[in-house]
Amino acid sequence: MSRRQEILATLHTLPNIPPLVLEIRKMINDPDVSFRALAEKIKYDPGLTANILSMANSAYFGFSRGINSINQALVLMGTKRVFELVLASGVAPVINRPIRGYDLPSGVLWEHSVAVAVGTEELAKELRLNVPDYSFTAGLLHNIGKLALGTFVENEIELIHNMCREKKITFDAAERQVLGIDHAEVGGILLQNWNLPRHFVEIATYHHRPEDFREINLVLDLVHVADILSMMAGFGLGSDELNYRLSDVVTARLNIRGNQAEKIVANITIGVNNLKETFSSMKGE
Amino acid sequence: MLAYKQRKQLVVGIGDLKLSSDTEDTIITYSLGSCIGLTLYDPINQVGGMIHCMLPLSKQDPEKARRNPYMFTDSGVQSMIQQLFDLGASRKNLIAKVAGGAKLLDAKGLFRIGERNYTVLRKVLWKNDILIAAEDVGESKSRTMVLDMATGKTYLRTARMEMEL
Repeated sequence: MSRRQEILATLHTLPNIPPLVLEIRKMINDPDVSFRALAEKIKYDPGLTANILSMANSAYFGFSRGINSINQALVLMGTKRVFELVLASGVAPVINRPIRGYDLPSGVLWEHSVAVAVGTEELAKELRLNVPDYSFTAGLLHNIGKLALGTFVENEIELIHNMCREKKITFDAAERQVLGIDHAEVGGILLQNWNLPRHFVEIATYHHRPEDFREINLVLDLVHVADILSMMAGFGLGSDELNYRLSDVVTARLNIRGNQAEKIVANITIGVNNLKETFSSMKGE
Repeated sequence: MLAYKQRKQLVVGIGDLKLSSDTEDTIITYSLGSCIGLTLYDPINQVGGMIHCMLPLSKQDPEKARRNPYMFTDSGVQSMIQQLFDLGASRKNLIAKVAGGAKLLDAKGLFRIGERNYTVLRKVLWKNDILIAAEDVGESKSRTMVLDMATGKTYLRTARMEMEL
């Protein structure tokens, strides 16, 4: 069995996304389901309800602590936004774990994921782009593969580091050479196993090499840049450090100019700080 | 009876400053990427501090700089030096050590934030007649920096090693 096959064989042992998250997604996509039925479904889970209200009232979403019920959240924020919070609450306990191999203490991958989610939206705002409503969630989920690949990276970390240094290649390229697969592709496979829509799978898979993706996807481009800027700001730096490349193709496509990159770095930090109290108190299911 | 005094650890966040005149303290900042970390220590008066700045110039966003001067290298370091003087530090004693300013592989143009942070830092220190005693900057490293207020020693941790700076 190759290393790649060995790694792929372990993926099913990872915790699944709570079934309630998928049920809620189905309800949101069903035009016959009322707000009331949806709210009832969410309220049935007190942990989920508390997490949603706590996030909805964080400074980031700008409702100045005015959302007191799930019904109100649905009306004021819309079902898509509420679903993002449902998904965030569902994956938080998994992403919150410490991750060996990448040397990420508990909470750091979650913080990085939130930074990229915020960065994706901030970039879209700064560049005056209309983006699909799954942008925040795509940012949140892009690095989930690190959860599964960590123990394999840990065993080969010296070899991976040496390869990065000697061949001047990125950390994910070194993962592919040493392990036969990188954390981005592993992430894509996990999201597919969770039955999440195809765009989440593609964005996770190609977030370090967007120009290899057969199509052009604006959200993928934004997640790629937001990921890089979040790491530069220091969110989620682990054993892979800053051993990544920014795609010239993507920066040209997005036409990022002047001091926009710096502005986004600042806004990511402020956004994460605004959401911080929320996710430090976020409880598992 | 005197209570046993616990050593205190002060954590410096992103865009943050911590100062101390207590030899029981250690000051730490985690994961400097493109951000720049600076420790200043006066061994005679035993006062010192650490700053973690994110972006080079406050003129980039004066409103943010007003709310948090430590976010920017120029306004943050200037304010740090002034506050150390207020705590009794003397300019001629100050030992400066620098870490961070990392970059991506083949970073260019707009995304050379680390390099620009370092350039601005050097300029501010130079204007204040403070020399850099030691530094570990650039490359693609992630750095954690620690200042021991008892000895003034600065330590550095990266993914591959630990050392005294």
